[in-house]
Amino acid sequence: MRRLLALLFALMLIAAACGSDDDSDDAGDDTGEDTTTEETAADDGAEDDAADEGDAADEGDEAAAETETIQMWIGFADEARVGFSEDRAAAFNAAHPEYNVEVTSFDSYNTVFEQAQLAIDEGNPPEIIHFFEAATQEALDAVDSDGNPIFASVTEATAGRDEILGEPVVLDDVVSAATNYYTIDGELYSMPWNTSSTVMFSNMDILSEAGISEPPTTWAGVEEACAAIMALPDAPSQGCITWPNHGWFYEQSLGQMGADLVNNDNGRSGRATEIILNSPEAVEYMQWWSDLNQSGDYVYTGVQRDWDGTSAAFLAQNVAMLIYSSSDTTVLTEGGVENGFDVSASPMPYNQDIDYEGNLIGGATLWLANGLSEAEQDGALAFLNFFSNPENAAEWHKVTGYIPITNSAVSLLEEEGWYEENPNSLVASTQLNAAAATPAATGAFVGNFVAIRDVVTAAIEDILVNNVDVAERMATAQDEAQQQLDDYNELYGE
Amino acid sequence: MGIVLGLIIGAVVGGLAYGYRTVGQAAFGAVAGVAGSAAIMAGLGFCMFADDAESTEGVLGLALAGAVGWMFAAGARAAFAQSGDGDGGGGFGESEIRTGAYRLGWWWPWVLLSPTLIILIFFLYWPAIQTFRLSTKLTRLGAPRVGERCLANFSELLVTDPALVAALPLAAIGVIWGMALWNNRAAPGTVAAAIARALQPLGIVVLLLALYFVFEGDNGGFRQIYVNTLIVSVGTVALSMIFGLALAYLTFRRVRGITVYRTLLIWPYAISPPIAGILFFMIFNATGGILAALAERWGFDFPDYTQDASLARFTIILASVWKLLGYNLLFFLAGLQTVPRDQIEAAAIDGANAWNRFRLIVLPALGPISFFLLITNLTYSFFDVYGTIDFLTRGAPAGATSVAIYEIIRVGVDNGDLGRGAAQSVVLFLAVIALTAWQFKQSEGRISYGGA
Repeated sequence: MRRLLALLFALMLIAAACGSDDDSDDAGDDTGEDTTTEETAADDGAEDDAADEGDAADEGDEAAAETETIQMWIGFADEARVGFSEDRAAAFNAAHPEYNVEVTSFDSYNTVFEQAQLAIDEGNPPEIIHFFEAATQEALDAVDSDGNPIFASVTEATAGRDEILGEPVVLDDVVSAATNYYTIDGELYSMPWNTSSTVMFSNMDILSEAGISEPPTTWAGVEEACAAIMALPDAPSQGCITWPNHGWFYEQSLGQMGADLVNNDNGRSGRATEIILNSPEAVEYMQWWSDLNQSGDYVYTGVQRDWDGTSAAFLAQNVAMLIYSSSDTTVLTEGGVENGFDVSASPMPYNQDIDYEGNLIGGATLWLANGLSEAEQDGALAFLNFFSNPENAAEWHKVTGYIPITNSAVSLLEEEGWYEENPNSLVASTQLNAAAATPAATGAFVGNFVAIRDVVTAAIEDILVNNVDVAERMATAQDEAQQQLDDYNELYGE
Repeated sequence: MGIVLGLIIGAVVGGLAYGYRTVGQAAFGAVAGVAGSAAIMAGLGFCMFADDAESTEGVLGLALAGAVGWMFAAGARAAFAQSGDGDGGGGFGESEIRTGAYRLGWWWPWVLLSPTLIILIFFLYWPAIQTFRLSTKLTRLGAPRVGERCLANFSELLVTDPALVAALPLAAIGVIWGMALWNNRAAPGTVAAAIARALQPLGIVVLLLALYFVFEGDNGGFRQIYVNTLIVSVGTVALSMIFGLALAYLTFRRVRGITVYRTLLIWPYAISPPIAGILFFMIFNATGGILAALAERWGFDFPDYTQDASLARFTIILASVWKLLGYNLLFFLAGLQTVPRDQIEAAAIDGANAWNRFRLIVLPALGPISFFLLITNLTYSFFDVYGTIDFLTRGAPAGATSVAIYEIIRVGVDNGDLGRGAAQSVVLFLAVIALTAWQFKQSEGRISYGGA
């Protein structure tokens, strides 16, 4: 009885809260409310420090003695990428003793975004925030508890300068694929950093054994190659080809066929309000994928967004071909060498029956927090430009396989003869340069993109595992995704 | 119309909850019930009866009005009628506790309790209240606006037919009530009483079935998640307790080096759920797993658990059971120490065989420990399996291993849909409350904690 009473007490508290809190809800700060109040109490000390720093910077000259801390939060946790970032930050700090760039690493883009939003509401945001392409719309729409945008436009902050604190501005030098994707109303809101595309990696040992000299470039080519490969006496144990069930691959195929994912020119001429998951192109791609799965050529690892499982199958030579992100070109090529086979990268296969329009980029950019003091903003901008200067951009490309983000980095790599030694590294850049500048081949801007991708991958899994009708399942997915988009626009739309 | 109905339901429920031995009591209960239902309906702005609301929202609104009305009436009874109606007297000898006097004043106990209360309020009650509040909204971190969803976050989990939503749970409650009544009325010792007693567990089955048909079955509905959660939790709890007890019984004997065995058996408990996920992934993965490699060597075809719903669920259960086993073993071992040896010896002398000694002496003595483990294991299988699932299947195949907590985190955290995530966690919260209350009711009087 006692326990039940305690329970009742808790429930009554809840009922009381439902009754009393309602009128405060139209204020935009509802979600941040509890965090702000609690954290202001707890973090008074920290905030004072931040305020002091800000004051000092505003007063100008006397701030020179103090070092300005620039926090950069990134969504990578692996040693190579975090190590690269910390290394460059140290180099920048050595060259600019008045600044101290600190890199903090988080396990995913989403975690960075969430933590950054909480920090912004708390009044002590990081200056530079790493955020991924699919959430560009969300980053643009996001506001703090006072209703101000949380990010500032990098183009606007640069204000036409050629150099900031002695660091040459590289913003105009960014390769066109990235510029096309991230430009909104003629401005780059964020500084492109890690940028990749989808490319195919082939186990050339298996392919040449099957009498194929060049990796296939079309869907029909993949089917033919797979027929030959699976007919081998020692055919790869799992199947012919695999790629992760990730929304990005679906979007890439739509781009190749020139089909938009959302209305209003893929969300680029106005806010996207309608999702298009059941277009003929989408259904055709899914049908091809499903057929390839039925015939046993495609290998589904059984888990959505399974980057590890698919690449492991390729490296274990259990499949002959892998469609993957070019960001892992270096790792996969070297992995092939370690496992004793030759890896060749080639463009993502496309539908030979429809004119090829173009593949999209993927990856992430570095966003500049809004409302920084001038000294902070300049320091952050200077670091961003330093971070992607030709030498650093070229090095970043070599370490990972992300495309060199500026044209001068590309020239630098060409001069060095890097591409002759590493032809696989050139594929993504070539593929992106070949893409038309149409909305479909540039990629969509749409809110709630992550949830929409979840709807797509769930539908794909249903099709692959349960073998349900493609057109019907995509129509259901269409309704679910539309609901996600409607919800988003209800909160963020004009 | 809906509002009046809500108030009437509040009055009836309140009257019943307060106790209806006298007209005055019933009337007081009814007033409390009406106050409760009015408070909750007004708090939500009567939105569930608005023209644009789904009719299932109206049904949910009425259920909510009834529930809060019941809470108010029961709360009023707890506050005002404790000593009067002679209902008190739970299991812990309340009268003895009450006789203590605090010489420093009535507030002194509250001061002593305050550290705990403050922690509870800030880290438990306040977040819980926020969850309830969020569950009626459409909201995201960083959004400039908040949308009002009333009860739509809940009603979209259910089938669209309001009659079904209203009738099925009521019917199930009717069945349970009827059977309880039958059980009470039937004279002890008769065949009818034996049948009534045997049929008791049927009530819960009927309720579970009713819920199955109340949750939406089509894509995006909650039925699949409900089924997954039931299978995974029941499987995990049953297997981990049975194996835990069996192992504890085996390692309780005096064998050379038994402490080493025990220590090794308890180890899995020290490993976190995601690591359990990784370990089982390494073993069962069809691409590069240990078993797959062995199977290949011996010429078998190793099945891929991610492609088969039953296998996938079984793998999740297996990983969770393995993880819980050490914990259960530890507590069962402690419990076995308390089993009176003299009784076992006496029974042995009287000729009871090992199985009977175990069934009639050891098992009842383990009652309190088993009950404790039942609750902690259930909590584990409801809340802590996320890491295991995330590493093993991510809900595959086609959502067959997406249990409630996994779905809550996917919707609320990964997709940032705080309102829907909160609504689903309220559903899970209610399920846990209901299960716990049911367990307490079931175990009342059956579990002996020793002592008089």
